[in-house]
Amino acid sequence: MLDRIGFIVGEAFIAIRRNPSMAFAAITTAAIAMFLLGGLGYVYFRVTEYAATLPGKMEMQVFLRDGADFTMVKAVAAQIRAVPGVREVSWIPRAKRWEKEQRERPELTIGIENPFPEAFKVIVRQLADTDSVAERIRGMAEVDAGGVVYLQKEQRFIEESTRVLRWLGGTVGGLLMLTAGVLIYNGIRLTALSRRLEVRVMRLVGASRLTIDLPFLIEGILQGGIGGVFAAGLLFTCNLYLNRFLATFDALPQSPTFPIVLILGALAGVGAGYGLVCSWLAIRMPVKA
Amino acid sequence: MSAPVEPYIAFKDVHVQYPDHVTGLAGVSFEIQKGEFVFFVGKTGAGKSTIIRLLTREVRPTQGTVSINGKSLREYSERSVHLLRRTMGVVPQDFALLPRKRVWENVAYAMRAVGRSRREVRQLVPDILDRVSIAHRADAFPHQLSGGEQQRVAIARALINNPPLLIADEPTGNLDPGHSWEIIEILQGLNMRGTTVLVASHDMAVVERLKARVITIEAGLIASDIPSGVLNA
Repeated sequence: MLDRIGFIVGEAFIAIRRNPSMAFAAITTAAIAMFLLGGLGYVYFRVTEYAATLPGKMEMQVFLRDGADFTMVKAVAAQIRAVPGVREVSWIPRAKRWEKEQRERPELTIGIENPFPEAFKVIVRQLADTDSVAERIRGMAEVDAGGVVYLQKEQRFIEESTRVLRWLGGTVGGLLMLTAGVLIYNGIRLTALSRRLEVRVMRLVGASRLTIDLPFLIEGILQGGIGGVFAAGLLFTCNLYLNRFLATFDALPQSPTFPIVLILGALAGVGAGYGLVCSWLAIRMPVKA
Repeated sequence: MSAPVEPYIAFKDVHVQYPDHVTGLAGVSFEIQKGEFVFFVGKTGAGKSTIIRLLTREVRPTQGTVSINGKSLREYSERSVHLLRRTMGVVPQDFALLPRKRVWENVAYAMRAVGRSRREVRQLVPDILDRVSIAHRADAFPHQLSGGEQQRVAIARALINNPPLLIADEPTGNLDPGHSWEIIEILQGLNMRGTTVLVASHDMAVVERLKARVITIEAGLIASDIPSGVLNA
């Protein structure tokens, strides 16, 4: 078995040696594409993680019109819960709020009647849902005009940042990934062309389809996988230098540890999988000299 | 009364139509028994190569059936056709030798491709090269060999699976008469040891000299089928 694997892997390496420039082009393009995709993906992940730590980031307060009774509170709570994107609704009774206010600011509350309306704390599932949820709640008759309050600007900024990151990563990284795919595809086609005599001999003597195809697939996997490893290395280096630079600013919090093993595994795996798909597509069509 | 012997190879009303209305075969039927030596002769484009390509399942008949050992070749799928090819040795017209590999490596490569281990290759290659009298050139590259020697290497490679059937496409096409006869003698020797040998050729000098069975193909049809020993007897 090992002998057999040795033969097939050896064939794949012979193919790479015959087309070194094409293999180099495919590997470097795949590396840059995955560096961009992986790097922007990592930044996106960090921004989203940071957004999750912001107080009240996915939270809004909803105030009802004056005079709302318990039946109305229950009805509105049910209506808000039914709005798509809402994760949690909790009632803030006006009496309790007033008690708290009286406790904390007795000098401001003496002799005044409770001015607070009945209110809810609403938590949405995703940042992107906030505006649509707020819009739906504003449309409810029982909700006071201007009775939906949340950190709209901050949320919009974070949402916009993640959207730009998604767009950049998706477009630039996607285009480069496509280019890398075309290069891997063409590289495998060239290999198939340069190895057509070997393939013919293999067919003549009765080599199985797997024996004939595997070296090409391994070549694609290697090109994509090596590209992924280089991308992880580039990301690690960039992160290292960025952290050193940021460390010079005392006010900034310390950056979390770069998950090198996870990123290396993920990028190498994605690259290898992508290389496999590209090489499989390349060998589906027969090569004509 | 003895039961009729089932043919080793049977073509029944085989038609092959290539794209653009090119006819490969137009209704060919014949039977070949185990151990026969058969020449397919005819002009270029007559259909000799189509018969070989049908046997190796590179081409499928548009109509009719081709069977080997009682099994229709239609039963072989794309994934299992290699099993059919292991039951035959094919010697292509252009030899198809790997130019960057030495003689023994050409044979070894083919053996490795069909799953033989390094150890088996080391044990078997010298014997195979010896069977076609090319062992003395084992370390030469194909470009250092004469046409006849290259043909012997191609035959050696065809023998790696010890096949009961050997198919040679124009094996003497590029050789002078002396070397041509040497190759035919090798094929004859293999035939005498029980291998069924099919040779596509238009080298009539060789065909007439051997006095084997000769099937003549003309425009995709069998023009004549002369049993062995009859031609120029």
